[in-house]
Amino acid sequence: MRPRTLLRIARWESTKGVGGIDRGAIAVVVAAVAFVLAVGTVALAGGVALEDGIYRVGVSEDAAYHDPIEADPTFAAVEATPGEVRTGTTRPTGTDGVVVGGFDGTDRLDLYVEERAGRTEIYVAVADGEPTEKSLAALSALRGTVSGYNDALMRTEADQTAAFPVTVAIRFLERDRAGAVGSPGGGTGGEIAAPGGSGGAGDGSGDGSTDDPDADASAADTAVSSSLGAFDLFGTSSTTGSPSDIQPPFPFQSLVLAFLFVLPLNFLVQAYGSSMLAERLDRRGELLLVAPISRAEIVAGKTLPYIAVALAITTAIVGGLRLLGSDGGALSVLAVAPLALLFLGTTFLAAMFARSFKELTFLTVTITTTLTTYAFVPAIFAETSQVAFVSPLTLAIEDLTGAGVSAGEIAFSVGPPTLVAGICFLLGLGIYREEDLFTQRPVHLKALDALAGRIHRPRGVAVAVALLVPFVFVAELLAVAVLFALPVRLSIPLIFGTIAVIEELAKGLPIYAGYVHARYGRTVPVAVAVGAASGIGFFLAEKITLAIQFVGLPGLAVADAAFQTGLGAGDPALVAVLALAPLVLHVVTATLTALGASRGRRLFVVGLCTAVLVHLAYNVAVVNALV
Amino acid sequence: MSKTTIAGREFRSLSREKTIVLALLIQVVIAGFSSFLVVGLTSLYEPGAAADDIVVGVTGEEADALVAAAGEVDGLEVRRYDDRDAARAAFDANRVGATAHAERVEGRTAVRVTAPQASVRKTFIVVQVRAALEALERNERADRTASLANDPLPIPPSVDASPYFGFPYTVLVPTLVFLPVFIGGAVVVDSLTEEVERGTLTLLRVTPASLLDVVDGKAGVMAALTPIQVGLWIALLSANDIPVGNVAPILAIATALSALSVAFAAGLAILVPVRQRAQLAYSFGMLAAFAAAALLPEHPATTVARFAIDSPTLGTYAHLVGYVVVSVVAVAAFRRWVRGVDAEALG
Repeated sequence: MRPRTLLRIARWESTKGVGGIDRGAIAVVVAAVAFVLAVGTVALAGGVALEDGIYRVGVSEDAAYHDPIEADPTFAAVEATPGEVRTGTTRPTGTDGVVVGGFDGTDRLDLYVEERAGRTEIYVAVADGEPTEKSLAALSALRGTVSGYNDALMRTEADQTAAFPVTVAIRFLERDRAGAVGSPGGGTGGEIAAPGGSGGAGDGSGDGSTDDPDADASAADTAVSSSLGAFDLFGTSSTTGSPSDIQPPFPFQSLVLAFLFVLPLNFLVQAYGSSMLAERLDRRGELLLVAPISRAEIVAGKTLPYIAVALAITTAIVGGLRLLGSDGGALSVLAVAPLALLFLGTTFLAAMFARSFKELTFLTVTITTTLTTYAFVPAIFAETSQVAFVSPLTLAIEDLTGAGVSAGEIAFSVGPPTLVAGICFLLGLGIYREEDLFTQRPVHLKALDALAGRIHRPRGVAVAVALLVPFVFVAELLAVAVLFALPVRLSIPLIFGTIAVIEELAKGLPIYAGYVHARYGRTVPVAVAVGAASGIGFFLAEKITLAIQFVGLPGLAVADAAFQTGLGAGDPALVAVLALAPLVLHVVTATLTALGASRGRRLFVVGLCTAVLVHLAYNVAVVNALV
Repeated sequence: MSKTTIAGREFRSLSREKTIVLALLIQVVIAGFSSFLVVGLTSLYEPGAAADDIVVGVTGEEADALVAAAGEVDGLEVRRYDDRDAARAAFDANRVGATAHAERVEGRTAVRVTAPQASVRKTFIVVQVRAALEALERNERADRTASLANDPLPIPPSVDASPYFGFPYTVLVPTLVFLPVFIGGAVVVDSLTEEVERGTLTLLRVTPASLLDVVDGKAGVMAALTPIQVGLWIALLSANDIPVGNVAPILAIATALSALSVAFAAGLAILVPVRQRAQLAYSFGMLAAFAAAALLPEHPATTVARFAIDSPTLGTYAHLVGYVVVSVVAVAAFRRWVRGVDAEALG
């Protein structure tokens, strides 16, 4: 790899089409400016309210609830004259002055509110003798609306002590090392500890209190920090300290950050994929291929500008967030970098596989959807569980909120995606050559080509399988992250099934690719040798997953089931058995697949299914032996 | 070669490359993804979803009032402790989910709540504690009405309703309507720019088909596929006990918006027959249009949501009519423009 050659290709790639201002460039710029303007205007106008007018409420002018209903856009208020709706009998609700009844739900109303004899009567729509789900949801929403209306009303009161008679201070503590976070009734800093971080992160949440009518009250007692902690993205951090100000910890932040960091990557990979696929049209890439430069230099040179742009965008976003008051810095950029690499790596592979632009569009959309899930779902649990560190985005969240992360956690979230991205480039590089670049084959055959490109003899399967292990690792981590919130009764069987399928596919596909490309003979001894190579390759590479018990997911039952390292068991003999048993398992199941694959496609599927079942049985047996 | 032949070929190429399958798969993933969020969030929030009650250790001089208020909240149990240390010990030993210390400070009830930092139930605990504190606040206000100029309104009763009743209608259905609309236009951009970039448009030109026929065929297929996909999703939702109302108006909106996006895409592809540029401009343009639509009295997503949840107003129908009229006019103007484009100049 010669830096100068690489940089020259990178320069060509980035200046391609920049020569004059053509129609295309203008169109892109105009559209981008329109996008920024539109988003800016809408953000100023208050965003899109999806829930506008989803419940229709009939309410008379004089009803006590008329004003709150009119003010809340969730309700489409319909002026109703008293007695207009045929209502049934009412029953008291336990709250003074409010009764609830039903009305026949044919009047195209969900709720009907009437003031009668000095009390408020609420009627829900009834269909078939039962209140409709929608009217109950509307009533539930009305409860929240009236609460909010009351709070607004109380804010105008002169006597604020009577208006807000309850103040709340919430703090979040680790159970075991509680003593370290501040003794009860102690300092003020510990009292308002932000939930996003450890005890020390709380000192930033006191800001935003200037417009608080209640600011003279003791700050330590009234401070309530929202889920966003020191880094307050929405201005929800509030110190009024009334109960309704409590924001339950909710992953808004990861939602917004995922959107912020991942959306630009979507645009980037679109341009990158186009550029890579364009090389394959009309044999355009041939010019570079015949030049005295290596394939790795071509691909690296063409990718470099996109990596640079991704890093520049990320740095700009982190810088912007810093201006808004976040603590983020280099770590946030470091956290998003593997995601960017992953997007580019998978898109490169997709561009090598796709037959047409249409196919590329669908492949990239599939990729971005999957990768967004991978980045987003684990990050939801950023405040509650270690499983969040499956996604590098969690690192960015922790960094932006000023919480510390350990080196182990960084390695755990950054390592696997970086490895997978590297392997994507490696596999794609294998078919970045004349005979593959300019031929058109269905995507799955291209994928087999890419795998077979790494296999030259039976034992080569071991290397190809080992290359797939990071994919397996990431897929299994994602499965754990998605399933861990379910009850253990449900999640453990699901995780067993998923893992058996993922691992057997990872071992079986390279074997099958080798057979399709006639890399080895179709005899039983060869099949056994290939199976053994695949099993051993997988076993050795899988041992890196041992690291997970040390840094990643301690004490998570689902993770224990997924990555049976045996370290959970105390007995040394059991640990030894569990260390070697997987080797036997992987060799046996891979050999089953290999025997099937040597006899054609249909038997390959049969062999693979058998292998999955054997794997599943083994997992269940091991768990039963342990528990 | 007529436009139906071109449309047929376009459709066959979609099914041959299995791209249409991928498209449906993507939408399933996105729908499943958002539903996963709902399931996850519901289990975090909804009291009924939690297996057992939250226990809160209560201390302090105002503990009685807090205990009384907590009685109004379902799924919340309180346990009295003599002092904060005892409550704290119970918290550390995991016997209570949270502690609350209530005392009198400057004429108010000051409550200090301790909740566990690392717990999946954290959100649920906080929601429950907040409900109890809000009840306490209401009771306290009621005791002090003499000092208040306005009495707070009585609160409607709490009912056993799913907090996510609206979600499938306000998020899922609009997503499943707008996703096919967006993807349809992207495919048209790909399909047209590819013919130009590969030089195969010239081959089509030697047939009796005009450029308008080619565009009609390619764009027409995608515009027609959108309502079919939307219809499929609505059927799937209905099969899952999420009845969607006003199917015909929703399909009409999907068709109208899809015609607009496809015409926009085809226009871009003809003006800028380079895939990279055209595709970028299309994505930005669509997102800009989607964001700018918020300046309408009713966002298209809200219109779809209102139809789906069966709360359309006159304004909702007016928007529907508006979309249909605009799309008819736009498509007519677009076709008129394409007729005048010199196909030779496209290269």
